[in-house]
Amino acid sequence: MDRRSFLTAAGATVSVSVAGCAGLGGNDEASTGASSTDESTADGTSTGDAGSADETLVVGTYSAFVDSPSTSPGAWVKQRFEEEFDARLIWQTPSNEVNHYIERRNAGVDIEADMYLGLNTDHLVRVDENLDDGLFADVGDVAGQDDIKPGLQFDPDGRAIPYDTGYISLVFDGTATTAPETFDGLLAEEHAGDLITQNPASSATGRAFLLHTVKQFGPDGYLDYWSDLQDNDVRVLGSWSDAYGAWSGGEAPMVVSYSTDQVFADQNDANMAEHQIRFLNDQGYANPEGMAVFEGADTPALAREFMSFLLRPEIQGEIAVRNVQFPATESADLPEDYAELAQEPPEPVTFGYDELKGSVSGWISDWERQFASN
Amino acid sequence: MARDFDGDTDGADSETATETASGPSREQGRTVRNTIERRGIVGLAVATIALLLGIFYYPVATVFIDSVLVDGRWTAQVFVSILQDPFYFGELARLLSGEPVGAVIESIRSPDRRLGVIGFTTYQAALSTVASVALGLPAAYLLARFEFPGRRTLRSLTILPFVLPSIMVGVGFVATFGRNGTLNAVLGALGLGQVNLLFTLEAVVIAHAFYNAPLVARVTTAAWESVDASAVETARSLGASPFRAFRDVVAPQLYPSVLMGAALTFVFTFSTFPIVLALGGFQLATVEVFVYRLIRDLEYAEAAALALIELGISLGLLYAYLRYEARHTVQSRGIRPLPRRPLTPPSLSVRELLPRMGLAVYAVVALAVFVAPIASMVLASLSGPEGLTLANYQFLIDRQTTGASFQVQPWDAVRNSLLFGVASLAVALPMGVVVAVLTTRDYRGRKLVDAVAMAPLAVSGIVVGLGLLRGLVFGVEIGGSRLAVGGGLAIIAAHAVAGYPFVVRTVAPGLESIDHTLVESARALGAPRARVLLDIELPLVWPAVVAGAAFAFAISIGEFSATIVLASGTNQFTMPIAIERFIGRRLGPATAMGVVLLVVTSASFLLIDRLGGDDVGF
Repeated sequence: MDRRSFLTAAGATVSVSVAGCAGLGGNDEASTGASSTDESTADGTSTGDAGSADETLVVGTYSAFVDSPSTSPGAWVKQRFEEEFDARLIWQTPSNEVNHYIERRNAGVDIEADMYLGLNTDHLVRVDENLDDGLFADVGDVAGQDDIKPGLQFDPDGRAIPYDTGYISLVFDGTATTAPETFDGLLAEEHAGDLITQNPASSATGRAFLLHTVKQFGPDGYLDYWSDLQDNDVRVLGSWSDAYGAWSGGEAPMVVSYSTDQVFADQNDANMAEHQIRFLNDQGYANPEGMAVFEGADTPALAREFMSFLLRPEIQGEIAVRNVQFPATESADLPEDYAELAQEPPEPVTFGYDELKGSVSGWISDWERQFASN
Repeated sequence: MARDFDGDTDGADSETATETASGPSREQGRTVRNTIERRGIVGLAVATIALLLGIFYYPVATVFIDSVLVDGRWTAQVFVSILQDPFYFGELARLLSGEPVGAVIESIRSPDRRLGVIGFTTYQAALSTVASVALGLPAAYLLARFEFPGRRTLRSLTILPFVLPSIMVGVGFVATFGRNGTLNAVLGALGLGQVNLLFTLEAVVIAHAFYNAPLVARVTTAAWESVDASAVETARSLGASPFRAFRDVVAPQLYPSVLMGAALTFVFTFSTFPIVLALGGFQLATVEVFVYRLIRDLEYAEAAALALIELGISLGLLYAYLRYEARHTVQSRGIRPLPRRPLTPPSLSVRELLPRMGLAVYAVVALAVFVAPIASMVLASLSGPEGLTLANYQFLIDRQTTGASFQVQPWDAVRNSLLFGVASLAVALPMGVVVAVLTTRDYRGRKLVDAVAMAPLAVSGIVVGLGLLRGLVFGVEIGGSRLAVGGGLAIIAAHAVAGYPFVVRTVAPGLESIDHTLVESARALGAPRARVLLDIELPLVWPAVVAGAAFAFAISIGEFSATIVLASGTNQFTMPIAIERFIGRRLGPATAMGVVLLVVTSASFLLIDRLGGDDVGF
């Protein structure tokens, strides 16, 4: 019903249940929460089987990384890592992502994951604004770190390191319109009602677009720009899929999305003319995704080996292709033709940690108050 | 908690065991049986309260307390600042912050008055309620008063929209009401021009009616089917015209149900969330949008206070309705329903033709609002880049056969949904009946108890999710070890808690309207309370019980937020979660899973109605 809200502010679960799970599934190795750690928390007595090496690495991440209908890198990464390291990798995908771990730390409950994959700058800011003690440990000695593109490093305190990045751009149907080249062009009368974007509070693309306007017009000017944009009938829908669905259905010819859109279009044999990319002002807002080890992780050494593993050239290339993003390192092995479809902006822009900390909530809240004032 | 119910089952077992024995033990058996029947209701009531406290009130309280306990200090400041914030309360906030009444009234009357988020949320909920009632009543009229082939099937399927995830409704609505949608194609073909419905308040209101008109229709149908024919016949034999007989005899018995449907619709649309942003846009943001955002940003104090204000308004309205319901019950002992009329007019008189023509017009509207979006969902699941395809269903099969264990498997999701649905129904039915019995007894403040018992319908789903995480999944530290709750049984309990209010709301008015002398004579003859309930009262209100069961099941099937929090692994995910996971660039895989949900729930609803029997007094 209506109260079936699409995402809750709560995440996953724990192994102990009132009276077991009675055939409704007990221990599968993947979990949304922490059931996976049965073996590691069974106070060391249940070491009977396996006995040997099999170290377990529990990695928290967002669900699309391991389970999306097109492609996702999760299964491939797990297989390659387990083959090589004689270890077991368990994906954990709590529905509220990083917040799940912040909640656990706040409640004084053990965090059963060893590391998190899929951190962005906002997440780190949120962690630091809400927890007195750290959630993540220093990145420490991770081979391959030096290959990371310098512009992508987003944690000044050296806990998170990027493993890939996306660029947020406009995607437009070239058979219906030609997207303007500048932000100001979006205000033109001919583009009235042409743009669909997303709620910055619940969508990464919507947030990136809003932050890009702050970048462009400054904290004192972005609201005026949005006022004009609203007058020109911009649509701000809830989620990326709301927006992309409405755009695909022809409700408007332009949508805020990822600059890798043509990769998907190609997979689906779509007409490329309907999937054009526009970097406004020749800029794309970068959204690097990072990884970090939890403080108090059971297997921090294995976690760091996993991070190095992910930074290797061949793994970087494969993750980028399977996650439909861009590698974080200079040295990644990408297929020759990848760049034909996955477009990188002439000038990547983004806000760093220091700029967002203390400001980002205010920018979004002010925007909400202006846009939804009834 | 669920254990308490087990205790009950044990009791029943021993009852049948002793039944077969002879001599003195038969005597003993009767005593046990009498004890069970005497204590049965009390036992169930205790179990119900324990379950509600453990699975609902305590977890939710762990979130709400943040609104008054900030950094370890008690404060009302959070509420005060929300109440005085024009962003939330519009012009009213100025009144609450002490501005002169005259000035505030002046600005409320001016055209550029501000409603605030809460004012706007109330406004759209009121519009949605009106639309839902307007679209629901004709359906009830058709289903309750006319006989036609497929009537029972249609009645069973009425509540289908109720279980659809918002993503499916979004797909269906864009395809139906969008710029290039079916509606515009039809209007264009008829030469009637174009309408741009999407991203307007109208689209949101229609979507809310899509969800809630079925609710109004179903509860009103149940009430209409319980109207005693003899009362109408008496009125007619005393010279009342058909219209008067309807107005004076039938309508008063329908008002409580219609108003209940309206009240529940208001409560649901007041806490609406994803659908508003999917079809309307952020300029139409409702309270729940901000509760979500604040919780996501971990601003718990403001989130909890806002959600409590939201809850207060919803419960206030429900309480007002319950007071009305209590005062407007028509007592009856009726078990003989009104005979249905054939849908094909028996004669060509105006009196026979007019209502049927009205229904024909309604059918066209219903086709556009209910059938077209659902048909579009089915079509979307069968569409690919090169036209019609089964590729999306192939995806489901592939995912089932080759998907990794940490990915959602379609069949597991179907199985889990059905298991949770049936099990939670088995818990929700006795819970609902017992609360209905308790709240229809005479004591002071019973309607207040009734309103509080309805809270699971009205609390923000986002708050429930967070509460379950904090209260159950994280657990409590007892003697050095941590007692945490999760997994299948917890999901069943949470679904039962979410669904039982429907059983209460459909059953309670019926119980209230039963002629009290019936119950009293049975009691005077020595029948224990539970026996009277099972042998006399429930058979009299059976259509309402079946309707309540269908809703409780529907709630379980559609539930998302509690399930994803409590599931101990991907293999406990349900159909709505699978749909959410399958959303990607193309909507095909998600819509295919959505169609699976449609088919599975349709079959379930048909089965529930068949098992429940069609006629009163079954």
